[in-house]
Amino acid sequence: MAEHPGVATACAAMLRRDLTLAWRRRGDIAMPVLYALIVTMLFPFALGPEDTLLQRIAGGVILVTVLLAMLLALDAMFSSDIEDGSLEQLVLAPQPLALLLGMKILAHWITTALPLIVIAPLMAAMLHLPGAVIPVLLLALLLATPLLSLLGAVLVALTAGTRRSGMLLALMLLPLCVPAVIFAAGAVAAAQQGLPWLAPIAWLAASLALAVVLAPLACAAALRIALDA
Amino acid sequence: MSNWIPLWLHRLSSPPTFYRFAGTLQPWAMTLALLLGAVALYGGLVLAPADYQQGDAYRIIFIHVPSAWMGMFIYAVMGVAGFIALVWRIKLAEVVAMQSAPIGAAFTFITLVTGSLWGKPMWGTWWTWDARLTSELVLLFLFLGVIGLYHAFEDRRQGARAAAFLAIVGVINVPIVHFSVNWWNTLHQGSTVNVFGKSTMSWDMLWPLLTMTLATKCYYAASLFRRVRTDLLDLEGGKDWVRQIAESEADR
Repeated sequence: MAEHPGVATACAAMLRRDLTLAWRRRGDIAMPVLYALIVTMLFPFALGPEDTLLQRIAGGVILVTVLLAMLLALDAMFSSDIEDGSLEQLVLAPQPLALLLGMKILAHWITTALPLIVIAPLMAAMLHLPGAVIPVLLLALLLATPLLSLLGAVLVALTAGTRRSGMLLALMLLPLCVPAVIFAAGAVAAAQQGLPWLAPIAWLAASLALAVVLAPLACAAALRIALDA
Repeated sequence: MSNWIPLWLHRLSSPPTFYRFAGTLQPWAMTLALLLGAVALYGGLVLAPADYQQGDAYRIIFIHVPSAWMGMFIYAVMGVAGFIALVWRIKLAEVVAMQSAPIGAAFTFITLVTGSLWGKPMWGTWWTWDARLTSELVLLFLFLGVIGLYHAFEDRRQGARAAAFLAIVGVINVPIVHFSVNWWNTLHQGSTVNVFGKSTMSWDMLWPLLTMTLATKCYYAASLFRRVRTDLLDLEGGKDWVRQIAESEADR
């Protein structure tokens, strides 16, 4: 039997491959960022430019905008790998599929969610969110976006065998990420009112810990179902 | 020994056996549902006294509450059947899970509609972002997601397995959603709307409610049996037992 590379080597190779692929198509990384900025810009037009109103809705608007921007990018998580057949190779690989998929999810989070978190202070400034609240917003985003990536990956894997998946993905994912939105927006709102905001952040962190363990396993199971034609 | 139960269940999971079994039970379940439903409606709309505070408007609960219970019950059935379908790959479990979803969605929709009809005179609004209403809405979207995923696949068995998996993910998530929505509501809203509070219901009102619950259960069984029978005929199209049924139908 041939020597297999170790699990750590395989994971590192997976991560490096996905990041390289994303870097070769840098334009795609900019798309969710531009989308989020434009959507944020539309809110003052739609609601009027009053500072107090924008301040009050800023946290929620940024969270929902980031969520929608991530939703747009989710579809691409496995699509190119399905087209060129490398996903089947991944399923056949001797290393645990859940770990390799976990690396893919991590790469996807780095390429789509991280740029969104980087521009979040800019979005916050556009909506006049007080500067003191921005660290809480970033913390909430840092915990909520991986949660969305992990949950989304399970659902993307489920739709891997279908043709029309864009709207379907939204229909499936959005009800499931209600808790993430509630806790993240709750933390920001509490910080804005000067209340303790640690409890919702702790709940987010707990959900993330649960999802980090369970979601890659669920993602692997879902992918096996979807590719088992 | 008493191993006839697993044996019987095992035989029941074969499509032709279940087809006959459901065919025998379906008319009985439907009759029972109509009978119990008529009794419950008479008891609820005519015999039960008007509420001292809400007048006659409260009577919508005789539809609303059983539907709400059925929505959650059917989701649980769907999750269990989906689990069985994924673990033991039983075709019948896939069919039961997928045919339950539209019935559950219908019951959840009825719950939302009757609730908002009741809310207009009582709360003065069709819709409020109360925790219970919001979880019910999320439940409806989960049902619709399962139905949507099932129909997105060209291969129906594969679609059923994928949708069953989604239903199980939903089962894990529903308590989290419910809990978080409760938490969110109490954060923003000082006074929560208590539909009944802790007050116990009078027996005059309770018995029609319980009868209606039984009626909806029977209706679910009848509707599920009918849907599963149709779906089994479709799914097993080329098999001998379906051909025999088709020939005997043609002879009549």
